[in-house]
Amino acid sequence: MRFLLLCTDAYGGHGGIALFNRQLVGALAAHPACEQVVVVPRLIVTRENDSLSPIVAFDAGAARGKLAWVNAVRRRAREHFDIVFCGHINLLPATRLFDQPPVLITHGIEAWKPVRRPFIAGTRAAISVSELTRDRFLSWSHFAGPTYVLPNAVRLEQYGVRPKRADLLARWGLAGKRVLLTFGRIVAAERYKGFDDVLEIMPELDRDIVYVIAGKGDDTDRLRRKARDLGVADRVVFTGFVAEEEKADLYALADVYVMPSRGEGFGFVLLEAMACGVPVIGSKHDGGREALRNGALGTLVDPANPAEIRTAINDLLRDGKRGVPAGMEYFAYERFVERVHAIVEDLSGGNRRYEPGKVLESFHRQ
Amino acid sequence: MCGIAGAFAYGGGAPPVDRAELQAMNDRMRPRGPDAGGIWVDGDARVGLAARRLAIIDLSPEGTQPMTDVDGELRIVFNGEIYNHRELRARLERFGARFHSSSDTEVLLQLYRHDGEAMVDLLSGMYAFAIWDPRAGRLFIARDAYGIKPLYIADDGATLRFASTVKALLAGGRVSAAHDPAGVAGFWLLGSVPEPYTIHRSIRAVEAGTCFSVDERRGRAAARPYYSIAKTFAHARGQESIAELVEPATLLREFVTESLRYHLVSDVPVGAFLSAGIDSTTLAALAAAAGQPPRCVTVTFDELRGGADDEAPLAERFARERGLPHTTRVVTRAEFRAELPKIFDAMDQPTIDGVNTWFVSKAASEAGLKVAISGLGGDELFGSYPAFRALPRLTRLARLPLASLLARAARNPKAKYVRRYAQTYAGAYVVKRGLFMPDDLPMLMGRDAAAEALERFDVLAHAAHAIEPDPETTFGRVATLEASLYMRNQLLRDTDWASMAHSLEVRTPLVTAALLRQIAPLLLARGARCKQYFAASPEPPLPEWLRKRKKTGFSVPLKEWMELAPDGTSTRMRSWARVVAEAFALS
Repeated sequence: MRFLLLCTDAYGGHGGIALFNRQLVGALAAHPACEQVVVVPRLIVTRENDSLSPIVAFDAGAARGKLAWVNAVRRRAREHFDIVFCGHINLLPATRLFDQPPVLITHGIEAWKPVRRPFIAGTRAAISVSELTRDRFLSWSHFAGPTYVLPNAVRLEQYGVRPKRADLLARWGLAGKRVLLTFGRIVAAERYKGFDDVLEIMPELDRDIVYVIAGKGDDTDRLRRKARDLGVADRVVFTGFVAEEEKADLYALADVYVMPSRGEGFGFVLLEAMACGVPVIGSKHDGGREALRNGALGTLVDPANPAEIRTAINDLLRDGKRGVPAGMEYFAYERFVERVHAIVEDLSGGNRRYEPGKVLESFHRQ
Repeated sequence: MCGIAGAFAYGGGAPPVDRAELQAMNDRMRPRGPDAGGIWVDGDARVGLAARRLAIIDLSPEGTQPMTDVDGELRIVFNGEIYNHRELRARLERFGARFHSSSDTEVLLQLYRHDGEAMVDLLSGMYAFAIWDPRAGRLFIARDAYGIKPLYIADDGATLRFASTVKALLAGGRVSAAHDPAGVAGFWLLGSVPEPYTIHRSIRAVEAGTCFSVDERRGRAAARPYYSIAKTFAHARGQESIAELVEPATLLREFVTESLRYHLVSDVPVGAFLSAGIDSTTLAALAAAAGQPPRCVTVTFDELRGGADDEAPLAERFARERGLPHTTRVVTRAEFRAELPKIFDAMDQPTIDGVNTWFVSKAASEAGLKVAISGLGGDELFGSYPAFRALPRLTRLARLPLASLLARAARNPKAKYVRRYAQTYAGAYVVKRGLFMPDDLPMLMGRDAAAEALERFDVLAHAAHAIEPDPETTFGRVATLEASLYMRNQLLRDTDWASMAHSLEVRTPLVTAALLRQIAPLLLARGARCKQYFAASPEPPLPEWLRKRKKTGFSVPLKEWMELAPDGTSTRMRSWARVVAEAFALS
C-alpha cells in the first residue's frame, strides 16, 4: 500500500501537530502491507531530521514555499495512493487535485469553528486527536462520514522519572523551591494555555513556590509585566526556548505540571509530564480532559475557577507522589500504531472491523 | 431540600438554648421538609440545631439531620444541594476522610474539617448551612453564591438565632417582630425586600455569597464575601478571544449540559417547568439529549386560554415533538382566590411576585414531582431583559439638559427621577426597575417611618454597591444589577418559598457561579445574541416557531383576579403591592 500525507510540518517541526504527524508516518510505515509513505510538508523549522525509514519519502523540497508545495502536491496527484491523508483542515483545498477523497486529520482549534464547507463534503473520513475535537468539528460541519479518534502517543521509554538536574536548578534559581511548570508557545493570539490563570493565583500560594513558564513567543513580555504587577516577579521564571534534548530534564524539575487551558485539542505536553512522573493538572474544558483520561491519570480543574486551580496545586504539592501513573500504557506508542493500523484496515475494507469513534469508549465527558 | 434553624448562646450572660423554641421554629418549616425532622441540643445547652428534611439524595436514615461526622464531633444542619459532592468526596477520600453515608451533607462536614472556612470556595450548588465545631467553640454559617437558598439571622448580642425563613425565626417566640422602616421602604421601592434587610428590625438576611463564624470568645465576625458577579464580569474582560475559539452554540451546549448533568443528579425523578420561552424549552431539550427527559409541567390561566399570551399550546406542541411527558394545569380565578390565604402564609417576606411559581410548583407536586428544573436566570444571563437596552439609553437621556421634560412628555410617572437618578447605571436601574419612588414613601408608610427609612436605606447606594468592582462593560453592569437585585431578592426568594410550600425542590441550572465564569467572555463578546445561540444549542435546535416568538413574561392575570386599579390611576403592580402590604400589616 502507498500512503500520502499532506501536512503543515512533521520532521524538523516543533509542537504537537508535527509530532503527531511523525508518529503517524512511523505507524503507517510499520504497516505490514506498506510499500511507501510520502510526506509533503509545508514547513521545516529546523534541519535536524529524525532518521527516516527507507520506505518514507520526505519531500523536503516542498517546504521551500507556497508555490513549491503546490507543485509538489500536483506532481504527487499523478501517482497512485491507497489513502491520502490531509494533515490540516486548511490544506483541504489542495486535495481537490486528487481523484480520490482524502482522510482529514483534525487536531484542535483549527477545526472547532467553520471553514468552507464544500471541501468538507469531499472528505472520505475524519480522524481527530480527541473526542472533544471530533464533536466540535461535527457540530458545525455536520460531516456524515466515518470518524476516528486517534489520541496522541508518548514514547514512555524516552522519558521516565529522573532526579532534578543540579545545573538547571542553578540556571533558573530553583534550588530549594517547589516548582510549578507550564510548557508551551507563549503567543498573544492564543491566550488559551492558562499562563494567566496560574499567574493570577501566585500571590495566594506559599512564598517558596516558583512558577516556571517554559517556551518562547511574542506574549512573554506581557506575562512578565503581569507577574510584576501582581508582585510575584521574583517567583516566576521564563526559560525561553527549550531544546528538545533538555525537555525531559525540564519536566523533571517540576513538582506539579499545571495547564488550566481552554484551547488544547489534546495536550500532548500533559503526556510528556506524566511520562516523567510529574503529577499533572489539566483542564476539564478542552482536550486535556482526555489526555488525563477523565481524571484517572491526573487532576482536572475548571480553568475559569481560580479556587479550584489553587486547591489542586496545594493538594498535589502536599500529597502528589512522583511516578508514571498506572494507565499511561493507554497512550503508549505501540497502542497508537495498533490504532493507526485498525483505521487503515477499516478504510481499505479489511476484515477487522474498526468501530468509528469508539477508540476511547471508556471516556465519558460529564 | 429542607429547612434549618438553630441557636447559639455565645455571650457570657446568655440564657441556655431552649429546645421548645427550636421545636417551634422547626414546626413552622414543616412543608419545607415533610419527610423527617430532628433537633439536637448540646449537653450544656449552649448550642442547638434543628432541621426539617425533604429527602432527595440518600433517602436512607443516615442522611437525616442534624448530622454528625464519623467521629461524632462536628454537627451540621444544611438546606440545599451540593452538586459537586461526588468530586469533593473523592478528593477528601484521597486524604483519608471517612464517611458513614452517601449524602452531600456529610461531605460538607469533612470538607470543613479539611479546608476550614475556605471550603466555600470549592462548593458548587445551592445551600445554606451551619456547622457546629465544639473544639473551637464556633458556629460556621454560609450561604450559596447567588442566594438560591435563604438564611436569616437574629443576633441580640448574646444569642445568635438562624433559620431558613423569617417566619420560622418569629415562630420561636424570642425574636421581636417590630417592623424595620428600611426593609419596608425597600419593598415599596423595589417590589421585594433587599438583602440584608427584612421587614423586621431584629432579623437580617445572611447575604448571598457570604459566610461568617460566631465563637464564644470573639462573638460574631464580619461576613466574608467569597463570590462576586461583578468581579466575574470584570475578570472576563480581555478573554473574549478565548470565547471565540468555539462556535457560540456549541460552547453553550457544552457548558449548560455540564451544569444540567449536575442539576439532574437525584435519587427521585426530576421534572421541569416548561413555558413557551427559550430558556425552559432549551433546558428540557438539553436534558433529554443528556439522557434524562424530564416530565414537563406548564401552567396557564383561564383568562389567557385561546389568546396570544397562552403559552400552553406551544409548550404542549414542543413537548409532543420532543417526546417529553407533559402536563398542562389550568388555574382559575376561583382557585386563586381560595389559595390566597395560603399564599400569604407561605410568602416569607412581602413581594409582588411568586404567585406564578406557587401554581406551577403546585402543579408539579400534583404530578408527583419532588424536584424540578427551571429556566430561571436565563434572562439575566443572556441579556434578554429590556433593561439591557434601556439602561444605557436612560443614562444618555439623563445627561441631556431637558431630560425631565422629555420624560414627562412621554407621560412616565418616574419622569422627574430621570435627571436626578439615571446618570449612573445604578440610578438608571432604580428608575427603570423601581416600583415606587422615594418621594412616594411618606404617603405609603407615614412621614416618620419614611424619614427614618430614607436615612437608613439609600436605594441608589444599594444598587451602586451591587456593581462594585465596576464590571466596566454595559452588559456586565446590567447583568450584575439584574442578578444581584431583582433575581436575588425577588425571583430566587419567591421561587424558594413558593416551591417549598409544595415540598418541591426547584433547581436552576442557569444560575451557577461556574456557568457564569465559563461563559462570561462569550457574553461580553456577543451580548444579547447569546439567547439565540442558546436556542440553537440543542440538537436539533429549537424550532423556528419558538425561537422567533415575541418574548412574553410569565405573569399572572392579577388585575382580573383581584380587580386591581379599576380606575386606572395606578399600575397593576403598584396596586398588588398594596394588597401584599396589607397582608403583612405594613400599611
